Amino acid sequence: MKIATNQFYENLKMAFDTLRSNKLRSFLTIIGVVVGVITVMLISSIISGIGLAVEKQVKAFGTRSIFIYKQEIGIRFGRPSREERMRPDLTLDDALALRELSEVETSVPFLNVSSGFFGNRTIVSAGGKQTQNIQLSGTLPEIEKTETQVLIEGRWFTQSESDAKSDVCLIGDTVKDTFFPYKSAIGETIEINGREFRIIGQLQKKEQLVGGGGGNNDESNTIFLPFHAALRIKPNADDIFVLAIAKPGRLNEARDQIEDLLRVRREVKFGQKNNFSTATADSIIDQFKSITAGVALAMVVISSIGLMIGGIGVMNIMLVSVTERTREIGIRKAVGAKRSDILLQFLIEAGTLTGFGGLVGLGIGWILTLLISIVFPSYVPWWAPVGGFFASVGIGLIFGIWPAWKAARLDPIESLRYE
Amino acid sequence: MDEQNGNGKSAASGPGEALISMKNIWKTYQMGTEELHALRDVSFEVRRNEYLAIIGPSGSGKSTLMNLIGCLDSPTKGEYWINGNLVSDMSDDELARIRNKEIGFVFQTFNLLARATALHNVELPLIYAGMRAAERHDQALASLTAVELGDRVTHRPNELSGGQRQRVAIARALVNNPSILLADEPTGALDSKTSIEIMHLFEKLHSDGNTIILVTHEPEIAERAHRVITIRDGRIEKDERIK
Repeated sequence: MKIATNQFYENLKMAFDTLRSNKLRSFLTIIGVVVGVITVMLISSIISGIGLAVEKQVKAFGTRSIFIYKQEIGIRFGRPSREERMRPDLTLDDALALRELSEVETSVPFLNVSSGFFGNRTIVSAGGKQTQNIQLSGTLPEIEKTETQVLIEGRWFTQSESDAKSDVCLIGDTVKDTFFPYKSAIGETIEINGREFRIIGQLQKKEQLVGGGGGNNDESNTIFLPFHAALRIKPNADDIFVLAIAKPGRLNEARDQIEDLLRVRREVKFGQKNNFSTATADSIIDQFKSITAGVALAMVVISSIGLMIGGIGVMNIMLVSVTERTREIGIRKAVGAKRSDILLQFLIEAGTLTGFGGLVGLGIGWILTLLISIVFPSYVPWWAPVGGFFASVGIGLIFGIWPAWKAARLDPIESLRYE
Repeated sequence: MDEQNGNGKSAASGPGEALISMKNIWKTYQMGTEELHALRDVSFEVRRNEYLAIIGPSGSGKSTLMNLIGCLDSPTKGEYWINGNLVSDMSDDELARIRNKEIGFVFQTFNLLARATALHNVELPLIYAGMRAAERHDQALASLTAVELGDRVTHRPNELSGGQRQRVAIARALVNNPSILLADEPTGALDSKTSIEIMHLFEKLHSDGNTIILVTHEPEIAERAHRVITIRDGRIEKDERIK
């Protein structure tokens, strides 16, 4: 065993010598492997990063939350179908009816009044500043019980404020930064489509995958109003999203009850599909995972092609190398190298070549993922570099077999005569 | 002659005290339908510490004979014993082991690894013998010192003169303490002054107790040996002791 490791070490050293003395050729040979490994690193890190962020973000909604909307919830490609767009809206009464269900703790509607009566964007202004892209959402005091928003200053509105359609509101972190960057916003007034609202609470910044920093997708760029106060901004508002909270450990039962009740209320006939959708944190994460599984498969195919091309390059260069070094092989055999010694030498050389390519790929891939992580959530799962490295060594060993076998079988007399 | 021990394990088995024993060796090449006999019924023995030259014109079969002695090739017919090992029936890997342990090659064109240092070239047989690095280094260094190249260990072949290269090759051939030193036209690529140096080195090695077989086509080189076998048309024409 000691002798075997000794020989292995010698072969490794010789392989590195060969790589060093043929720098350009070695580099060109390993490009395919390098690209293959970079692909693995990049795509796996992006998928894992997005996956982690999605999980975090969705989990932040709560593990007992059930989202209900008239259209399909989740990741979609392209526009919703005509049938989906024609579905009736959910109503405040729907949201209140859900509260009667035995497995549901509470439920709240979110009325979207981000655009006004004529479809124009709602204008929000305060302290001389004005903006149009804040999400405005009318809801009920029970939002506090859903624990999906964290209050960091002030309070939620009360039932009486809600009943009285009081002009009060709570603002998200981004809204505060926009209008009151250097002071507390509590007690300040903010103007929404000409109506003045008093700020009574400020909410914590939300964990977010993409779209932070004030855009339409920034969940912290939101103002919450009492439901009926919101209706005064846009009397014809009908775009309602419902959040229901299940009793602890009763998520699936609650979801079933909700679907049954809504089918009755929305008059869905027996045997027909739901004309609304429900989603939980887990169901959205599962949906995301099934999509990334497809992307991961595509990644495996792409990087396999890269590695294959790299492997063929390695085989080609090793065959040339064997021919060039025929005399060396003869010398080695003359001084006592067995066939297996020569075979091992060339196999290790091929494996070292591609393994080195793998390391270069890991290095470049690592730098690239660091750069990407600045703008996009990404982290490298442990299996990506490990798998990438072993795959590249494996490619060298597999594609090196034929050249190495050819070298091992050379006749020592012929080889010594080779010019 | 004592030949009960057919497997040739110890030095005592095999024919007598001879280090090398060739008995009725034939080497036949099939050239299409024709058979070409490179060696026809060659028999001879070499004792320990002999200094033997094999001489013959090109095409006489002396290269074939050298390849057989060096265990690079196997005879078509006949028995070949070296240091108690019957090598004529050995497999490729067993032959490799014999080449590693029993034979030290010196070639006309040196046959050093161009990219390796003198030391690494000399270490090569020890690597294949499975020796540990530290021990190997010491032994290779001793061997290079013995051919007066102790101060050239880190030089590569292209940084050495022809004579120095041949001495590296000789150091490599001797590093494993082989039974025989087998030299194929060792001065063929050297000028006459260097040739004389190398021949002196061979004489010194012989007087140190090494067994040397020299294959050459130059009578003046052969004359330095103590015994000369002349080969012609695949047969031993003459086998004479000259010293």
